[in-house]
Amino acid sequence: MSTTSATATQVLFDAPGPKGRRRILLLSILSVVLIAALLIGALWQFHANGQLEPSKWIVYLRADYLAFLGHGLWGTLKVTALAAVIAFPFGLLLALARLSRFLPLRTLAVTWIEFFRGIPMLLVVYAFLLALPAFGVTFPRFWMLVIPMILVSSATTAEVFRAGIKAVDVGQHEAADAIGLSRRDSLVHVVLPQAVRLVLPSLILALVTLLKDSTLGYVVSYNELQFQGKTLVSITRYLVQTYLVISVIYIVINLLLTRLALALDARMKARAAAS
Amino acid sequence: MIGFENVRKEYPGGTLAVQDFSLEIASHESVVLVGTSGSGKTTLMRMINRMVDPTSGRVHIDGDDVTSLDPVQLRRSIGYVMQASGLLPHRTVLDNITTVPVLRGTAKREARTHAHELMEIVGLDAALAERYPSQLSGGQQQRVGVARGLAADPNILLMDEPFGAVDPIVRAELQRELQHLQRDLRKTIVFVTHDIDEAFLLGDRVAILRPGGIIAQVGTPQEILADPADDFVSSFVGADRGARTLHVERVDGRDVVVDADGRPAGVLAASGDRSAGEGAADGRTRERSS
Repeated sequence: MSTTSATATQVLFDAPGPKGRRRILLLSILSVVLIAALLIGALWQFHANGQLEPSKWIVYLRADYLAFLGHGLWGTLKVTALAAVIAFPFGLLLALARLSRFLPLRTLAVTWIEFFRGIPMLLVVYAFLLALPAFGVTFPRFWMLVIPMILVSSATTAEVFRAGIKAVDVGQHEAADAIGLSRRDSLVHVVLPQAVRLVLPSLILALVTLLKDSTLGYVVSYNELQFQGKTLVSITRYLVQTYLVISVIYIVINLLLTRLALALDARMKARAAAS
Repeated sequence: MIGFENVRKEYPGGTLAVQDFSLEIASHESVVLVGTSGSGKTTLMRMINRMVDPTSGRVHIDGDDVTSLDPVQLRRSIGYVMQASGLLPHRTVLDNITTVPVLRGTAKREARTHAHELMEIVGLDAALAERYPSQLSGGQQQRVGVARGLAADPNILLMDEPFGAVDPIVRAELQRELQHLQRDLRKTIVFVTHDIDEAFLLGDRVAILRPGGIIAQVGTPQEILADPADDFVSSFVGADRGARTLHVERVDGRDVVVDADGRPAGVLAASGDRSAGEGAADGRTRERSS
């Protein structure tokens, strides 16, 4: 991770001279000291209020607590996976519709994308929880969370796919034309395979967003990780500890996904450099 | 036979790519369109397979106006080799070559067998069949491009500066192999380049274009060198700089051919001592000017 960002920085900025290096070192030390002071201060506050007592933390090693949180984690993963499996292909279709030569289809796609991209997901969840039932349309809790996730994510990933399609080299379109591929063949055999490869890292990052969006499950009382945590807090009253443990779980999963995205990106860059 | 009749191409916004172009290209002939950028040479070539449609005028192949033909079917029946090969990066060499035949309905196995033969013809090692384009050198990629152009066994082969992006040594090698290929296959070749030496080497006839697709001179390389139509042509072929006026000087007991400035162009070969490599190109220049 650090190596890729370092090379990216070197491309964009001149290497600092001796004076600049000294200034950077000084600022780095200052910020480390500042962050350490803040952390120590926080820990001190926790200690002063008795939050660091081992008895308040040891419970997270108990099997029943872990099973309770594990149930929530399973819910989170299930919701995220299902939403992604439906939203991503749908996003691709939306992107194609937006690039279509048929104006009504294009308008429809643009409207859909701009609407769901611009609106906070919470409002969409409320629509399913509060507005639609008023008209007699109700969904199970699971779908009250998954459908809004699909609607919003399909709009954002549509833009990711569109960028990918646009990023395919013009020469490739020309080559496809020259050897006699029809518009459809060219799309299926030339443009899409390359576009999907190009956006794969961005799609994994969209998965991270989706995973975080699933925390809105607490609004519809669906048993995902954060909602389970909330329930746990109302039983144990260990607010700080529970949410810290849950945060760590989210961070670990997202870190793994981000790592995967960066690895894929690096592999593709290496491939592109070889050509 | 390919015919251009008073072809004109104007782009929206008023750019005039081709003013008024007429030319007939006989079957089995190789014609090179040569000119600087902006001479409309690529535009003209692309009119043959309808990647560009003329604003006015007619392009016909064996008497059929190309605008009456379906562009996709037309393009599949014409080989096209482009600069930087235009290979599909996510497909193997073999899949790249078989793309068009498979689309035309050739059985996959048959297409692959044929592709292996083509790889041999263009001088590609069979071991490269399952490689991806990015794993090949520039020269190898260009060979795959030529093999793909020949895959559907077209009568016409269009070549758009195919050797422009490879280094001079590989280029010379590819040019020589194209000459051999053409001796065996006798396709109708339309070749576009800005390199006059390449044009003289590969063209049965050469058309030198001014900006706007105006023909400055068309003829065999010999005709053009012997009798340049005007100063533009003289300067384009290098005759004004003395680069084409060669004479022999004796150095260390060998006959060295030098141009008007005394720069060496090659060594005069003793009879039966035709050396390989660059000698082929220089040999022709020598024969013509002596």
